[in-house]
Amino acid sequence: MIHPSQTSKNPTLRALLPGDAGAGSGGDGFRKADLAEIDASCRVPVLFFFLSGLAWLIAGSLLALVASIKLHSPGFLAAWEWLVFSNVRTAHLNTVIYGFASQVSVGVSVWLMCRLCRIPLPAPGLVTVANLFYNLGVTVGVGGILLGDSTAIEWLEMPRYATPILFSSYALIAVWTIVTFRLRAERHLYVSQWYLLAAVLWFPWLYGTAQVMLLLEPVRGVVQAAVNWWFAHNVLGLWFTPIGLASIYYFIPKVIGRPIHSYYLSVLGFWSLALFYNWNGMHHLVGGPLPAWMITISIVASVMMLIPVITVAINHHFTMLGHFGKMRHSPTLRFIVFGAVSYTLASLQGIASALRSVSEVTHFTHHTIAHAHLGMYAFFSMVMFGAMYYILPRITQREWPCNGLISLHFWGVALGIVLYVVPMSLMGFIQGTKLNDPTIRFLDVVQFTLPWLQLRTLAGLLMVAGHVAFVANVGWLLVRMFEPYRKPVVRILTGEAETLAAGK
Amino acid sequence: MTMSYGPLLFLGILLTLASSWVGLVLMPHRQLGSLGQHTDPDTAAIFPAARAGEAQQGAEIYRSLGCVYCHTQQVRPEDYGSDLERGWGRRRTVSRDYIHDRTVMLGTMRTGPDLTNIGERQSDAAWHYRHLYNPQTTSPGSIMPPHAFLFETRAIGPAGRSTNALVLEGAFAPPAGREVVPTRRAVQLVAYLRSLKSSGDLPEAPVKKEEAAR
Amino acid sequence: MPVISFILLGSVVLLPAAALWALRWAASTGQFRCPDKVALLPFDESEPVGVATDQILGNRR
Ligand code: HEC
Repeated sequence: MIHPSQTSKNPTLRALLPGDAGAGSGGDGFRKADLAEIDASCRVPVLFFFLSGLAWLIAGSLLALVASIKLHSPGFLAAWEWLVFSNVRTAHLNTVIYGFASQVSVGVSVWLMCRLCRIPLPAPGLVTVANLFYNLGVTVGVGGILLGDSTAIEWLEMPRYATPILFSSYALIAVWTIVTFRLRAERHLYVSQWYLLAAVLWFPWLYGTAQVMLLLEPVRGVVQAAVNWWFAHNVLGLWFTPIGLASIYYFIPKVIGRPIHSYYLSVLGFWSLALFYNWNGMHHLVGGPLPAWMITISIVASVMMLIPVITVAINHHFTMLGHFGKMRHSPTLRFIVFGAVSYTLASLQGIASALRSVSEVTHFTHHTIAHAHLGMYAFFSMVMFGAMYYILPRITQREWPCNGLISLHFWGVALGIVLYVVPMSLMGFIQGTKLNDPTIRFLDVVQFTLPWLQLRTLAGLLMVAGHVAFVANVGWLLVRMFEPYRKPVVRILTGEAETLAAGK
Repeated sequence: MTMSYGPLLFLGILLTLASSWVGLVLMPHRQLGSLGQHTDPDTAAIFPAARAGEAQQGAEIYRSLGCVYCHTQQVRPEDYGSDLERGWGRRRTVSRDYIHDRTVMLGTMRTGPDLTNIGERQSDAAWHYRHLYNPQTTSPGSIMPPHAFLFETRAIGPAGRSTNALVLEGAFAPPAGREVVPTRRAVQLVAYLRSLKSSGDLPEAPVKKEEAAR
Repeated sequence: MPVISFILLGSVVLLPAAALWALRWAASTGQFRCPDKVALLPFDESEPVGVATDQILGNRR
């Protein structure tokens, strides 16, 4: 229940809301919009973020394939300077991180925020504009990388003529998320909203700091490395992870129709993540030329990550208990549960490789690459796929056209990523052991990695096939948007399946 | 009934990140941001010396070609990895080693060997040119990409082969009557590589005595 | 260095103190009472607890 005075506090902001929702109905506070109304208000901006994200996903996966092939067959496409290995690899990272993952995150976050605030998205056009700016920024940035203007600062390679565009877009999105939040009709906060708010506040701060200290007024010497890894690790920990977890906390209960196991645990999980994750970055520099105290602090903070990770894992597991069967019927649940399990695994792997003794072996090897993909792909991207499977039919009011493509997508990427992460983790470990044995010639270590690198290309092919299936299905869905609306033959939007499942 | 506690949430979100922002960004900046060169009291040698001219320009080529994605420039301490045993440096690297670098390229991946000390390990410019042109010429089985675009293949002039033409044999040789010469960028890059040396003695990281005597 | 030690010492004292204060405040304003109700926020009359959604695969009759 909210106090009437609270609702009238912001008449100007209120005026942004369409129709009834803006007018307010007194008494019980503002009318909580129904789900369909909220979904409709998000349609255009969220579609923009999803579709451009998917376009970058396809570009990014093709770049990944090329980079992967180049690493075991260096003669491949070697004549063109703009396609030199490092350019392709870096363009891949930046398209999938900033082009795909971040954009889909924003789409999911906007929709989720509106649904939990129980209001239609205020001034959706503004979010769409942010999207256009954002894509301009990514295009300029990735283009710059391919033309040789990469800064060579990991995760911040886009040249400095591109980053301010992205920054302003992020800032606009952050402000708009806060505005949406302030206008909320539901006064109580769900844990997902905490994570979303935190993510949109943290990221511009991180990005701004890194831009100023590394690109505009570069700091001196190894302080660059400290800022670099404080930033890069936190992009994962304080931008992607919170949005991923916010989605898991919403979609698991929503799909299985059962509230989260323990709300207390989710509170503990949030604050321990907020406290510890942002201190982790220096574990990327174990053994490096920085003062020992910095690296030690990060190792300690990394181990402390056990608290949020285990809390979240227990909470999700007990929520799912007895409902795993629903994964067979819900694409969202399949992807999300895959992602949630991977979150736990990725975190445990990360904690382990932050330890000095493990890092001594794994630090400069493909183990790190495998770990990055376990986190960014098996956890984060899978959760985002799951979220899109839920959101897209609802905002377009059309059913998924083809279940076969959904299965192809899931099995392609699921098998692909397992075939990527498991062998590469193992290979990296062996590679590190060999590198630490000075009696083994360097070139012999290189030769040892070759078959494994070829296997990775195979895994990448599977993942690309999955992406193509997904994009085809989304394209088909869009085509249906232009057909006259027909009462859905299948299930989500009619609620038929719900009764079916509930009746069981 | 739970009330809305937006402001507290907001504060917590800001404070948590502020903590590491102070701890891992501002404090290192204070501690390390003003490190200077070290003058050896005995020899009056100054280390690390600033890089100049071609070598400095070469650092930019190294950055723009992304060599950092396969090569580190950091030597880990004794008993931690085998960096020293592999000859990647004469001592571990420390913060002071990097004060002149415009972009500090420590690197995170060792697909190729560490290059901190490559200038001492391999000082032959001709080797570097051949290796860059096509790594298979010097290191068969390497997966380092060929950088042939840093070279120009041109007809041999009336005065005969240029002095800086690459000596390439077998399958790597250019067609008859033609030669491969490094472009400006290749020259700068190799100047940079040859300037990479970790021979300087620092109080916080002395070169091991027996090593230095050798 | 003294500035740094002040920051360090200060934060060692201030941060836990702030945390304790926040905890006390949260408890005294009843924020720990029955938060499980909040766990119901994703649900409403149209999609209540106990009803699964998104069951679209393999349900053709
Ligand atoms: C795809 C990864 C990769 C990239 C990118 C790469 N290298 Fe290499 N590099 C290697 C490998 C593998 C070796 C070891 C085999 C060899 O000598 O070719 C190597 C070896 C070297 C060596 C010889 C080191 C020694 O100890 O003998 C030098 C010098 C070198 N690279 C310079 C460069 C420069 C300069 C660039 C950027 C233009 C670069 N590399 C880009 C993989 C790479």
